[in-house]
Amino acid sequence: MADYREAPLATQPKTLDPNEYFHVSTKMRQAENQRAALRANLKLQYQTQLNNPHRRELIEDPALTRWVHARGNSYPNFRPTFKTSLLGAMFGVVPLVFFYYVFKTDRDAREKQIQDGTLKRKFSLSS
Amino acid sequence: MRTCHCVSQQQPVTMAGVGFRRWALAVSKGKGSGISALLSGSRAASGVSKDNEVGPCPTTPEEMAAAARKYMMRVEDYKPYSDNGEGYGDYPQLPDRSQHERDPWYQWDHPDLRRNWGEPLHWDFDMYTRNRVDTSAAPVAWSTMCKQLFGFLGFMLFMFYMGEKFPCYQPVAPKQYPYNNLHLERGGDPEKQPEEVKHYEI
Repeated sequence: MADYREAPLATQPKTLDPNEYFHVSTKMRQAENQRAALRANLKLQYQTQLNNPHRRELIEDPALTRWVHARGNSYPNFRPTFKTSLLGAMFGVVPLVFFYYVFKTDRDAREKQIQDGTLKRKFSLSS
Repeated sequence: MRTCHCVSQQQPVTMAGVGFRRWALAVSKGKGSGISALLSGSRAASGVSKDNEVGPCPTTPEEMAAAARKYMMRVEDYKPYSDNGEGYGDYPQLPDRSQHERDPWYQWDHPDLRRNWGEPLHWDFDMYTRNRVDTSAAPVAWSTMCKQLFGFLGFMLFMFYMGEKFPCYQPVAPKQYPYNNLHLERGGDPEKQPEEVKHYEI
């Protein structure tokens, strides 16, 4: 595993990261401690609610609520820029137009062949 | 602020027009839901509280600090998405790591999701669950995987194409019927002598 190379979509595991072992500074340790403090605070809140014998309702997770709200209410922060308009056109307009033309030409050609009597109806399971 | 929008778009219209414009603006810009919002212009009590809403993308350090506090992250860890109008707002941009990569031996609050209560979720959290996209380390080198997959696909495509071009099948002949090509069964005259059909060669 020592010659493992990182790639897009295949990350390096934390245990193989040399920075974890060699370049550990005081700042990094402080940062980790602060993160651990935040985590411990959240754990305390959760465990208090979880082990409360008088609790009858579900424990509401504010992070989850925020995430759901963020995912569902992205329109207020939407702005029509070049990129967003292009994406909208690519996903909304182009498939309709493209498939209309593809199906129309294909079906018109098929109809013409039927009228001329040149359509070959082959025995084929796939079409 | 909603009033700022109204003030900046003043036009010389009647009083009724102004009132209607304000109501229409409030309805379109307001974060309400349902009939109650339409009638009164205020929000329902259900749903997210005002503090927990997704706000606009923060620009000043104070806004960044406030947003980091809201999402329960360190100010240094908090990084919003760039403000390009794609609708993220001030939601934090967490590293694109799947839940597969998280420590399986740590005591998570939700072990199947490998997540603690209150921890900020990735925007694509439902994509990165343990049933779906996996970004963890691959056991084989990327180049090897690419070569194997595309090599196999390319080979199969090529062989199918050659099979279409040069079909190879058992030799067949038209079906041979007995009794002079079924002369009587096909409605032939019993008196008339049919022509002899020989299917063999000695």
